[in-house]
Amino acid sequence: MTDYRTFLKEYDGPAIRIMEVCGTHTASIAHNGITSLISSKIRLISGPGCPVCVTVTEYIDRLVELSLEPDKVVVTFSDMIRVPGSRQSLQDVRSEGGQVRMVYSPLDIIGLAAAEPDKTFIFAAIGFETTTAVYAALMDGIVCAGIENVMLLTSLKTMPLVIDWVCSMQGGIDGFLAPGHVSVITGYELFEPLSEKYHVPFAVAGFEGEQILIALYALVKMISKGESRVMNMYPAAVTADGNKTARLMIDKYFEPCDAAWRGMGIIPRSGVMLKEKYRLYDAGSRDLFSDHSHHPGCRCAQIITGAQKPAECPLFGTSCTPDKPQGACMVSTEGSCYSYFVNRRIK
Amino acid sequence: MCVAMPGKVISVHGRKAVVDFAGNRINAEAGLVAVKPGDSVLVHAGCILQVLPEDEANILADLFAELEDL
Amino acid sequence: MAHGSGGKATSELISSIFARYFDNPVLAKMEDAAVVPGAARIAMTTDSFVVTPLFFAGGDIGRLAVCGTVNDLAMSGATPMYLTCGFILEEGVEIAVLERIVFSMAETAREAGVLIVAGDTKVIEGKGGLYINTAGVGFLPEGGFAVSSAFCEEGDVILLSGTLGDHHAAILSARMGITNTIMSDCAPLHGMVSALLQNNVRVKAMRDVTRGGLATILHEFAAASNKCLRLEEDQIPVTDQVRGLCGILGLDPLYMGNEGKMVAVVAGEDAALALCCLQKSAYGKAAAIIGEVIRGEEGTLLLHTQTGGVRVLTELYGEGLPRIC
Repeated sequence: MTDYRTFLKEYDGPAIRIMEVCGTHTASIAHNGITSLISSKIRLISGPGCPVCVTVTEYIDRLVELSLEPDKVVVTFSDMIRVPGSRQSLQDVRSEGGQVRMVYSPLDIIGLAAAEPDKTFIFAAIGFETTTAVYAALMDGIVCAGIENVMLLTSLKTMPLVIDWVCSMQGGIDGFLAPGHVSVITGYELFEPLSEKYHVPFAVAGFEGEQILIALYALVKMISKGESRVMNMYPAAVTADGNKTARLMIDKYFEPCDAAWRGMGIIPRSGVMLKEKYRLYDAGSRDLFSDHSHHPGCRCAQIITGAQKPAECPLFGTSCTPDKPQGACMVSTEGSCYSYFVNRRIK
Repeated sequence: MCVAMPGKVISVHGRKAVVDFAGNRINAEAGLVAVKPGDSVLVHAGCILQVLPEDEANILADLFAELEDL
Repeated sequence: MAHGSGGKATSELISSIFARYFDNPVLAKMEDAAVVPGAARIAMTTDSFVVTPLFFAGGDIGRLAVCGTVNDLAMSGATPMYLTCGFILEEGVEIAVLERIVFSMAETAREAGVLIVAGDTKVIEGKGGLYINTAGVGFLPEGGFAVSSAFCEEGDVILLSGTLGDHHAAILSARMGITNTIMSDCAPLHGMVSALLQNNVRVKAMRDVTRGGLATILHEFAAASNKCLRLEEDQIPVTDQVRGLCGILGLDPLYMGNEGKMVAVVAGEDAALALCCLQKSAYGKAAAIIGEVIRGEEGTLLLHTQTGGVRVLTELYGEGLPRIC
């Protein structure tokens, strides 16, 4: 097999900027020490693909309110509890008696709801297409079984439009590591129009260290040759047209809507929410757009697109730190600002 | 997004399947992909998203060849 | 509630449970204070235990309460000698539950070679919660022996007494509804420390690997010593089941708590002997050499990853909870 490791380490062509859109890729890159294995001329930038980190303060505030209402319980993934709202996080409100339960799977809410039928259980439904498929399966289970005490508060987002937004900003990204598990659902064809529109290559990547190196190799090769297409370097799990059953189920229950991205603003049609027919299961997700983390000074939008560095943000290290994070870049434990503050990526 | 892991299907019952990850067992949702015992599957947040092949080495070899031709 | 008020109900509780299981000549005197023989230098520590559930795979709050304090003493190089224990019981705690816990504490204390010489009980309103505080005294050897997180030197070797993350994984599996056979590794470590010291291993720093995990502790060592510590990821023992659980939940064993593992930084020349001491001791079968103190960026903890890259490890931020992202 090709010696892609040597190629990446010894690359000495023009400086290039590659963005990994998916938060789990950012985590895996840090976890494996990938930056230390590639040439310093290849710069990796963490993009906006962490759905936990891009939830706006108003969404968190609504969850906090719901957790304090009598006979209501908020059910959530564990990594949501640290995200600050305009005043508190879910972790903060727990110590004031807020009812918050953490689960591994959204489907666990069915068992919780059955055990306490006099309470309403609300899932903090965040995620990209990968997790939206799971919520669709959950909705199917709820509707078919006639369960009446489960609802969703959604802040669901989709990939292509946010990547389009990144490309349209002035960041100058030369290539994208396409999200591996979103692609399992959507198929890698999803990224072809973007690749064509902006003449930029995409490589779908898995999450093991070796899989990321292989995808980076494909990207650097394509960039060097001026190729702009989508290469699937995670063929074990990803196909051209993805999981149709999952997509049909998503389309049954959800429809596109505008979505607000923490520190970045509203991107039209970049999210999904429950269809009108199923709105009775919605705990008030519409128009949760207000974002108190969006100081005039916050540079999240520029940092997340690689146009600026964390140290160039006036809030960095002063009013925005890992202990009191403002925008998505600091909320995420693998975000650019958090990483820069505590966890230097080695060159 | 998104933490997911390959596991082995132990048994299937209706829309659920018991999946094993090195000795950890969960009762996963199996409504999005057709699965049978013995399948290697990708699981995200308690839901099976894909059946995985035994190995991807051959497919990758073709992709590398394609890259050499660029 | 009557049990805490100091009258007949209290003395019944004491005699039927505490005195019965913790029985020793000092406690039997039932004085207000325990008077015990001492030493020139003593180590003292205290800790409180609030874990739920009270009983979990591989242990219970009682065993934890003894091991936690015994291990803190042992990590200073002291021989653990005496413990006190204070109970805070919420209304609704069943006597049978209390008895099981006290029995477990007595067994663990016997294993650890400590006497429980004083105690207290309070009962408050509530729904059956139970909390334990233990304070401990240990004797330091003659001769000014000392360990410190600041004593690491270039050339020293880092050893870990066994697999990472077992306790945290056991507790979390139960909470998240994931079935496995992971057991908490709750255990007293005085035996392995004693083996190291009796064999004249030059120990510079040692710590039991509790909350915050291995990375948090070694990061502290690196910072306090102002040295560069480097670990080999493929040398760090983690069981397949714990690794599997971490994969499902998005956890990192380097940041997960144990209750029966220790890390020791020893002089390079003593590394093989130290490993032997650990591996021969009761809870150190899976002990391994996991890294060394090297020339490099001061105050930094590095990990040479399985992929061959280098990762900087910091202390744990947040709570080390499962991830979806």
